[in-house]
Amino acid sequence: MKLWRHLLFALNSAWQSFWRSAAVSLAATATVTLILTMAGINLLVGHTLAGVLDQYRARVSVISISVADDTPLTTVTDFEDQLRSDPRVVGVSYLSKDEALARFQADPVNADIARQIEGNPLAAKLEVRVGKLADVAAIDALARQWRGADRNDPTDYQGEFIARMLRLSAWLNLAGVVILFVLLLISIFIVMNTIRTAVYHRRHEIEVMKLVGATEWFVRGPFVLEGILTGVLAGGLALGGLLLAYRPFVDRFHSDLFFVPLGYDPAFVGELARDVLVAGALLGALGSYIGVRRFVRV
Amino acid sequence: MVLTADFSQRPLISLQHVWKRYANGTEALRDVELTVPEGDFLFLVGASGAGKSTLIRLLVREEKPTKGKIFVDGQELGRMKRRHLPSYRRKVGLVFQDFKLLPRLTAFENVAFALRVLGEAGRVVQARSKDALEVVGLSNKHDTYPREMSGGEQQRVAIARALVHSPRLIVADEPTGNLDPATGWEIMQLFLQINQRGSTVLMATHNRDIVDVLRRRVVAIDGGQVVRDDRAGGYHEALAASALRA
Ligand SMILES: Nc1ncnc2c1ncn2[C@@H]1O[C@H](COP(=O)(O)OP(=O)(O)O)[C@@H](O)[C@H]1O
Ligand SMILES: [Mg+2]
Repeated sequence: MKLWRHLLFALNSAWQSFWRSAAVSLAATATVTLILTMAGINLLVGHTLAGVLDQYRARVSVISISVADDTPLTTVTDFEDQLRSDPRVVGVSYLSKDEALARFQADPVNADIARQIEGNPLAAKLEVRVGKLADVAAIDALARQWRGADRNDPTDYQGEFIARMLRLSAWLNLAGVVILFVLLLISIFIVMNTIRTAVYHRRHEIEVMKLVGATEWFVRGPFVLEGILTGVLAGGLALGGLLLAYRPFVDRFHSDLFFVPLGYDPAFVGELARDVLVAGALLGALGSYIGVRRFVRV
Repeated sequence: MVLTADFSQRPLISLQHVWKRYANGTEALRDVELTVPEGDFLFLVGASGAGKSTLIRLLVREEKPTKGKIFVDGQELGRMKRRHLPSYRRKVGLVFQDFKLLPRLTAFENVAFALRVLGEAGRVVQARSKDALEVVGLSNKHDTYPREMSGGEQQRVAIARALVHSPRLIVADEPTGNLDPATGWEIMQLFLQINQRGSTVLMATHNRDIVDVLRRRVVAIDGGQVVRDDRAGGYHEALAASALRA
């Protein structure tokens, strides 16, 4: 009962305090909205890039071993069995010369060349799906040692490319995290300063509360709630903007950057909503908590 | 002459060799000894800057003594933990020269505020605020805002607010300082009445007429030292004593 009355009191004074210094509160809300929007864009871009990277990853985790034309089928099957029993390998499939040709011809990109082909210049292939990207190099080395492999062009493995992709994705992740961190720090600082203003506006009330024996957290509570209110409001506004812009943005760039598999992911919207709102509430709480610890002492 | 406390009663307030030096080096209180039994009515007199407000700030633990000990109701204030301050302050009613009312709240709401911040139930808040306003004679001003009231009325609201938790001790820092003599006299009557109902009253004041007429205990301080403690003194005698010292 008492707790409930305290909560009502705090909510009521937080709401009044927010509007008492409306200019400051709204300016802070607008700034934090902007920052959360940037953070949201960061998340969206990060998610989209992760999607693109995943597709690349899926592609590069498969290496294709060209089988020399003179390799007997039993040698191929033996090697296939050896690969299958390797714990790093997820799957192996064999593609005969005919199948390789059929697949080559089926791809419209190759239509012109396919018409000029005489006989079957394509090698039979062993397509090996490796579980972890980091193990692809080892499997490639194994394949190159195999005597049944085509001597000129044993595999399609591009070691440097994979390594670069991995480094790039690690850097992008790190940059994303750093940017997010800086943005959140700035928001916390902004909320802290709004609370300083709110405390200044309410200094008489705070003094009276102290002298009639209000507890420290009773005095501080409304300010913390005001901070959370600011954060959640900013989070909601930022989220609204992001959701409105996400789809059109992806569509627009999808046609411009057709070679990048950019995609709209409706499943991510829920995750984004949760992240942005929780971030708003947390940074509001943290900023006002720090502000109140600094500026409200009983 | 320093009158020692009546030892049949446990003193409500006891200051033992209290010194207070502010951060800027001002020595506001020097070796103050003071004992106030429960039920006392005590005037604290002295020139501006003598240290009266400092003593009051120490009593409500807004400041801590630099040296010495202060006991109120058996608790040593210097050792009191911060989290115990609120419950301590509820035992003390505070009244100031500038009233310290909240301008956006009505008389009733100002009084009720003191109970609301403690999370009291609405029923209790209503009943006790109403009673407190009745004690100070403002039953007809519940819905009036501070700016619509005279200084005397505002001070009555402040007193009602100080009374609303039924504190054992009322501490007032120049409560008549902003009021004309007639109004000041009315307010003083109110404090006497509160004292008769059992609360101990400690009041800093400049109002020599009142001190002279009421013949209550007078403690004079000068330059941070107690220079006189008179069971039934007057302002002039007290200041004369301080003049003698100077
Ligand atoms: N917060 C403070 N910091 C420094 N000096 C102070 C402070 N408050 C009061 N003083 C000084 O302490 C002395 C006593 O002040 P005060 O207790 O306010 O006297 P009074 O209430 O009797 O006029 C004065 O010299 C005053 O200037
Ligand atoms: Mg003073």
